Amino acid sequence: MTAYIVRRLFATLPVMAVVAIFVFFLIRFAPGDPAAIIAGEDATAEAIAQVRAKLGLDRPFMEQFVIWILQMMQGDLGVSIFSNLPVSRLIVQRLEPTVALTLSTLFVAVALAIPIGVLAAWKARKLVDRLVMGFAVLGFAMPVFVLAYILIYFFAVQWQLLPVQGYRPIAEGLWPFVESLILPSVALGVTYMALIARITRASMLEVLAQDYIRTANAKGLATDRVLLLHALKNAAVPIVTVIGIGIALLISGVVITETVFNIPGLGRLTVDAVLKRDYPVVQGLILVFAAAKVLVNLIIDISYAFLDPRIRY
Amino acid sequence: MNAAAGNILEVRDLQTQFNTLDGVVRAVDGVSFDLTRGETLGIVGESGCGKSVTALSILRLIPPETGRITAGSIRFEGEELTTLGEEAMKRLRGHRISMIFQEPMTSLNPVLTVGTQIAENVVRHLDVSWRAARERAREMLDLVRIADARRRLDEYPHQLSGGMRQRVMIAMALSCDPQVLIADEPTTALDVTIQAQILQLMLELKEKTGTAIVLITHDLGVVAETTERVVVMYAGRKVEEAPVEALFAEPLHPYTRGLMRAIPRLDIEADAAGRRPRLQEIPGLVPRLTQPIVGCAFAPRCGFATERCRTAPPPLVDAGSGHTVACWEVDRVRASAL
Repeated sequence: MTAYIVRRLFATLPVMAVVAIFVFFLIRFAPGDPAAIIAGEDATAEAIAQVRAKLGLDRPFMEQFVIWILQMMQGDLGVSIFSNLPVSRLIVQRLEPTVALTLSTLFVAVALAIPIGVLAAWKARKLVDRLVMGFAVLGFAMPVFVLAYILIYFFAVQWQLLPVQGYRPIAEGLWPFVESLILPSVALGVTYMALIARITRASMLEVLAQDYIRTANAKGLATDRVLLLHALKNAAVPIVTVIGIGIALLISGVVITETVFNIPGLGRLTVDAVLKRDYPVVQGLILVFAAAKVLVNLIIDISYAFLDPRIRY
Repeated sequence: MNAAAGNILEVRDLQTQFNTLDGVVRAVDGVSFDLTRGETLGIVGESGCGKSVTALSILRLIPPETGRITAGSIRFEGEELTTLGEEAMKRLRGHRISMIFQEPMTSLNPVLTVGTQIAENVVRHLDVSWRAARERAREMLDLVRIADARRRLDEYPHQLSGGMRQRVMIAMALSCDPQVLIADEPTTALDVTIQAQILQLMLELKEKTGTAIVLITHDLGVVAETTERVVVMYAGRKVEEAPVEALFAEPLHPYTRGLMRAIPRLDIEADAAGRRPRLQEIPGLVPRLTQPIVGCAFAPRCGFATERCRTAPPPLVDAGSGHTVACWEVDRVRASAL
């Protein structure tokens, strides 16, 4: 198992390299010029060229690319061309809200989706099942920002139970921190929850038709043991896979959610950097997101071996 | 002794129906039989004759979305099972009535260890700790002659062969000393040498524990070797019942005779060219069970059938010494050569 993990970690290097190349060139082919933005609206062509030279953007792409790669190998993600702050520091500053929001969303979604998916499969084609699946379709179809504003309107504006927006770091106390995360997590989590609930139901339905479930019932086992141990453990592999895929979905959702709820996280940093063509920051962020995704995939792959003894590496 | 007093299981006029897109399927249509304590009863018939459904009905394991017991009575030690509450039924399953299934490859849970799957049955029904249940599981594996039982407890089903898995199923089914074991085609999926070992094992364990066995099979060879009494089913109905010797000595139903002619035999002399007579299959197909069957269900495939067979269902009649048969033309059948 350890050998497998080490092998998998090495295998991530080419993936990250491809991401780096892709990001570097994509962003430079996109329209928009950071030098023009920095120089201001009334700048002369000469002034813009000066700024460009100062930033090193007048050099050939390949040269810029080699410089960037060499810096990165030394752990240096570069310096923002607007704030002059190191990219790594910008990212670390914004990391906590995003990680907190992602994890709380993940927790809310998984903790609710799996039980309702199991319930729907157990009561398949009955009223409970239809309600759950109706909710799942609605939840999946509802855009995050629409749901976010609906939630804000009722819970924050009308009933004043929760803050309208903003983020409180965990250092300021647990409850203010949790309170500020509830609405964003629900808004972001509903789509995700719908997805996991549907997969849980489908996977459970398939498993419940298997011979070994009949065996479990022939042993007179209690319903909860049949459902939660005999069936769910078998149904887990597709569910875990979807949870993993969903994390990619979450990362894109974070951008919108952070904007709506005014949370100073990586999503907002990304939007700002893209709009200003702050190349080093965008590059750094995309690498961080890609690394997060690769790490999640690794964790998911390893978890398969724990869920299903037939899977060995 | 009063005959009924020795019965541990009494099935009367059992009817089980399934709702399908083609209409209501009468999978079991008025079947009755008794099982005495410690007895081995065979139920035989072709695929789709209702033998498995009969077994599942006894344990009330028919999926409620698709099928249900619509009439009849199942009494276990005098207690009516068709109306028993689900919780009480669960206490009975795996404890006093156990079941093993045809497919040992798919009947064990692939993600739980063998030890867990046996021990959970013991923990569920007997008031013991997990530690004691695990010890019981090891004993059971020894009993079904799985070598190195302690190590096997921690293995998963995919690490065992088909024969070993069926031994595990038997160990599981017998772990709480049930009064009745229902074995639904327990050896069909296994190769012939393993089949013989498993049947031998079941019979030995029966002698040791006194568990009565209902052995469901399509294989008359298995029936001849292992059972004491046989129920022959066709199209959801019982067509013949007899002690095993009587059935093989003189099968009285044309369907039973057809089944016997379809058994491959080694004792028939080959002719000069080394050929043996071709096996005779029963002509025609099992009837569709979505339409009510008027008359005898076997009549369309039967060489003895008359007009009466096609219009009125034959009653079960006593042919002497525990042999009953449902055939209008039983005298003509008896007079003809096998």
